[in-house]
Amino acid sequence: MSWARERAAVAGENKSALLDIGRGRGSGILAAVRHYLWLMIFLAAAAGLADQPAFAGQASAQQPPPAAAPPSPMIVLDPAHGGIDTGARGENGIVEKDIVLAIARTLRAELERQGFRVVLTREADTDPSYDDRAAAANAYRYAILISLHIASTGKPGTVRAYYEQFSTPLPPPASPAASPAAAQARSATPPPASLLPWHEAQQPSVAASRHLAEILQLELARSFAGSPAQPTGAAVRELRSVAGPAVAVEISSVSVSNAEMLTGMAAPLALAIGRSVDAYRAGSVAVPKS
Amino acid sequence: MTRTFMVALVILAAAVVIGLISLRGLRRHMQRMAVPQFAEEQARREVLAPPISTASDVPTKAEIFWAAGPDTLAPVEMELPLSADPAVRSKQLIEALVSRPPTIGQRTLPPGVVLLGFYVLSDGTAIADFSDTLASNMPSGILSESLAVNSIARTLASNVPSLRRLKILIHGQEAETLAGHVDLTGFFDLNPAPPASAPAAVATPPEIPAPHPVPAAH
Repeated sequence: MSWARERAAVAGENKSALLDIGRGRGSGILAAVRHYLWLMIFLAAAAGLADQPAFAGQASAQQPPPAAAPPSPMIVLDPAHGGIDTGARGENGIVEKDIVLAIARTLRAELERQGFRVVLTREADTDPSYDDRAAAANAYRYAILISLHIASTGKPGTVRAYYEQFSTPLPPPASPAASPAAAQARSATPPPASLLPWHEAQQPSVAASRHLAEILQLELARSFAGSPAQPTGAAVRELRSVAGPAVAVEISSVSVSNAEMLTGMAAPLALAIGRSVDAYRAGSVAVPKS
Repeated sequence: MTRTFMVALVILAAAVVIGLISLRGLRRHMQRMAVPQFAEEQARREVLAPPISTASDVPTKAEIFWAAGPDTLAPVEMELPLSADPAVRSKQLIEALVSRPPTIGQRTLPPGVVLLGFYVLSDGTAIADFSDTLASNMPSGILSESLAVNSIARTLASNVPSLRRLKILIHGQEAETLAGHVDLTGFFDLNPAPPASAPAAVATPPEIPAPHPVPAAH
């Protein structure tokens, strides 16, 4: 019995000692489990944010990857003129630079409400250079520039979309160097690295800009009665150096009796632009700038 | 005291008379100062521009492109005495475009525009030098400026087949834009395809008007 008591006493001591040890180990294990769970949650969140490219790579070995959705472009709104450059002036005191800025601010609010990202090339009565305006769009990997204008002429209440159009370059003059041998030598020479001259940066994007202008002009014709159904190619200075889709939108005109007639067109214009950009994205494969 | 007062009064009266005379002369002088800009251009035009009518002129049916609505152009056929020389012929056509619109509503260029010079290079490039009035009196806007440039280019393309592209200068200088919108730093297409062994100038205009002129990159 004494042995039994002693054993029980020893066992009780050991048990209590084990319990003490277990209590200390148990808190360590719990802490480790807790840290492990946090780590797993963190890794899962990180993988979700990164779109799990590694898993997509594994899937691609099994089947072709699904078509990537076009990225959401940055819409760069360009209120034309500003500062000492007033633009068109109406007999009733309407000044183009002020109206386009007011319209651009409304467009930004409306387009952001539709879920687009929007920036303006000018926020106040300043006059950025043409190159600064183009640079504002070129700074983004995928941007669409929309230059806003008010015309002096045209039926009031109508809106026109324009895309840049370059002229046909003249062929080089015929010379002795144009012999077949010289031509063969030229063709054997690899072309130089394709650098894009700033003053004709729009050149590779003319087709994309025209496509966007066609979609936009159809929307404008639906929203503003009397507007043409087709856009116009023109030599618009603001568009020439933009290295991506770029269109000009011109509202007629400064001849209206009060400015509200023009600023009131901003909301339907925002809807037309939003729908056009969505349709353009849906029907085009975005080619990010290299 | 009275004598001094009288002398002062006389001097004052003389000063007023002199002032009135000077004021009249000053006004005349200011009026003369207001003219020189126009007079200078007029003199430049007279010196540089030979008479537009020449001995070789032949009555020809020409197509002049005027406005046919708020945003369209349409050719109007009219008989003009036109030279066989491309540069002279182009001057005659632009002169008609500026000064002979059928109605005010069909006008595409501001009144008072003067063609200061017109040159044709060997590669078919035409250079038209207009007075400041083309830019300063042009209604600002892509629509109005495009119509103006297109009316010039399509009139030339339709009636002077040897011209291949057009460069527009303002008072002898390259301008960045016409009136804030349309780019003038490049060229505008006239008849971009090389003429197939065509003579320098043809008396009869082509049947199909040229496509829209567009500017070229440098």
